[in-house]
Amino acid sequence: MRVTERTNFDVARDSIARSKGRMEKLQFQASTLKKLNAPSDDPTGAAKIMEMRTDKVNNDQFVTNAKLAEMFLSNTDHALGEIGDLLIRAKEIALGQASGASSNESTRLGIAEEVEQLYQQAVAAGNRRIGDRYLFSGYKVHTPAITPDGNYTGDDGQIMTEIAKDVFLAINIPGHEAFNTNPSDSADINRMQEQGTLREPASTQVSPDQNINIFNELKNLRISLLTGDLEGIRTTLERFDDLHGQVMSLRAKVGSRIQGLVGSMDSAERQTITSATLSSNLEDADMAEVLSNLAKEETVFRSALSSSKHLIQPTLLDFLK
Amino acid sequence: MRFASTTVTGTAGLHASRAAIATAGHNIANANTEGFTRQRVEQESYAPAATPGQKPIIGQGPLISNVNRINDQYLDKQVRVAHRDFSGFEDREMSLKQLEDVFNEMNGDGLNRLVSRFFNDFRKLSNDPSNTAVRQAVRESAKALVNDFHRLRNQVDDVRKHIDSRMEGYVSELNSLTKSLAELNVKIKMNQISGASPNDLLDQRDQVLKKIYSFMEVNMFRDESGSYNVDIVNVGPMVSSSNFEKFSVARTPADDQGKPENAFDLKSSASANGVITHAVRGGRIGGLLEVRDKTLSTVLARLDEMAYSITDAVNQVHQQGYSADGRTKVDFFKPLDTIQGAAQKLDLSDDVMSSLHAIATAAVPDAPGDNRIAAAIGRIQHDRIMGDGHSTFDDWYNSIIADVGVASARNAENLSQQKGILNQLTKMREQVSGVSIDEETTKLLQFQHAFDASAKVIQVADEMLKTVLDLKR
Repeated sequence: MRVTERTNFDVARDSIARSKGRMEKLQFQASTLKKLNAPSDDPTGAAKIMEMRTDKVNNDQFVTNAKLAEMFLSNTDHALGEIGDLLIRAKEIALGQASGASSNESTRLGIAEEVEQLYQQAVAAGNRRIGDRYLFSGYKVHTPAITPDGNYTGDDGQIMTEIAKDVFLAINIPGHEAFNTNPSDSADINRMQEQGTLREPASTQVSPDQNINIFNELKNLRISLLTGDLEGIRTTLERFDDLHGQVMSLRAKVGSRIQGLVGSMDSAERQTITSATLSSNLEDADMAEVLSNLAKEETVFRSALSSSKHLIQPTLLDFLK
Repeated sequence: MRFASTTVTGTAGLHASRAAIATAGHNIANANTEGFTRQRVEQESYAPAATPGQKPIIGQGPLISNVNRINDQYLDKQVRVAHRDFSGFEDREMSLKQLEDVFNEMNGDGLNRLVSRFFNDFRKLSNDPSNTAVRQAVRESAKALVNDFHRLRNQVDDVRKHIDSRMEGYVSELNSLTKSLAELNVKIKMNQISGASPNDLLDQRDQVLKKIYSFMEVNMFRDESGSYNVDIVNVGPMVSSSNFEKFSVARTPADDQGKPENAFDLKSSASANGVITHAVRGGRIGGLLEVRDKTLSTVLARLDEMAYSITDAVNQVHQQGYSADGRTKVDFFKPLDTIQGAAQKLDLSDDVMSSLHAIATAAVPDAPGDNRIAAAIGRIQHDRIMGDGHSTFDDWYNSIIADVGVASARNAENLSQQKGILNQLTKMREQVSGVSIDEETTKLLQFQHAFDASAKVIQVADEMLKTVLDLKR
């Protein structure tokens, strides 16, 4: 076989260039700590990493949403708790004043003042706000839920928030549901998810014969106390029981939503960790491996250089002098 | 026997040795000349001539019959073809790397993140529909999304323009190459008629041919006079004997085979209708055209489709809603008529640009807390809208990135493989045609010895003549 100088030089140049190319790649990996620096390094891995990044960003948003929902729901819970407490107090008052034996006109008049206070307290709890948003107004968050004379002015809007991919949760209890035992229309948690039915909120008309309303009952109690209508006081007794039961069942509902939230936040965080591990596997360089490869490559490079030296240097001319 | 003939024999020996030494020198001097083929002096012994009274039995020294190139045509052809494929991959490599850079968001922000940010800002808005700061954020992230679509579109376009300007250079190079090939054909023929051996012109012509090969798939055949005739595969003649075709580029409207608007069409007098853009295969020009008309066009079409679908899907939901200022049927993005060019035309609607309150969040009027529309827009991110209902926007975009990565990775692989093949073939060609300095040095010594000895022959003949002349004294 004829071997020419040119072949010699080409071989030397090539092996040096190849070795340098590999070293540069390793060097780049070592400096970015990543083995995936361009999509062509691992196209499917790159797409997977993008997907997981999106998941992570979305998960973070879902956790934020869930935290917000938790804030709304626990404030709702507090307000309901307050209302529940004042209903108990109202019932105690009604119980105490229901018989002529334990009460007289002056106690009733005095205690009517307290009922008035309870009423104001109930209106205040019904108009509880977070920032500038009324908790119990449904979608009409900028309008107080309850007017001073006890009328509900909100709607039945359920504010849904996405707490996990495609999982929505209502973060509010519309006032008509909270303050009435038998709202003609109770909003459903899933309604928002029915495709295309971005439904008008139902009007809040309630049929009067079945329904009991907190504000009305408090007003009734007060009027009965003022007028000495013992029969009227007694009828409120049972109704306060119903109302209290209603509020308690709502608190249970809110409580279970909060519990669900905590669960979903936990799982979102777990998912974030899992996908971080996965994408790290895909894109992070194993430093031990990179560095040992770099050392190996350096040896290869040195031997390419030194063998080139021996290959290139001598020619016949060196020996003819 | 005549003494003079012995002197002539010595002189012929001197000539032959000197020619061999000159050729070895030529070889050594050209050891690094691109495309040089080593040459060898062909010498033969001169047949004895009959002289009166003597049978023709004594030889008359060497005769230089020719100076030959040592080459292997088939090997040369293989090198040309391998070099063509290598050049094609090499040019594609540059454009594909540029394209990959456009879409590389492994270490930075890109459309993937902006899509998420856009939909997440709608989720934020659904948490607080009446908050102006959040509305502002929604509009800003939508603007960022729009700008990134424009950026991608423009940068892909820049890659395209880069390809076009390289094509322009290649075409003028090709024109000068075809011209010189035709000229060399003529020169070589004339030289051969006059009996010379135009080795260095032959080298030059092979070198020109190799360069022509690197631009596109062509075939070469020799005619009976030894001229090189070159045909473009699928098109027609490029060079035949002393005739050569002209190539040019011209900006023309888009066509249905993926050539973008205003990009160069390749024209040639070699083809009946003049345009050979889609007939040319392989090599530098074929490779660049493939990237431009297939890879880039596909990527742009998919971006357009995505931009169009985002506009359409978001608008559809947004129109159902009521804005903070009580309007309905408001567009969020400017409606687009066609998918073609959507990534370029994508923009926010004038309503949303002029007022933050035009962003609809509610499904019913006069309900500031109603977040159903905002939430529904946020959900679009997970809707399988693209690819006949198979992929979400994220899937779609990620698959563009993956495809760009695959194209680049595959080409890089082909390039390194082809480089290996080319190296191997070049080495084989070198084995046949390359100059070995050691070999030429030994030849120098060998012929120097012969030269010395031939000189000695003349000296001896001279002395013999002197001896004879001295006989009388």
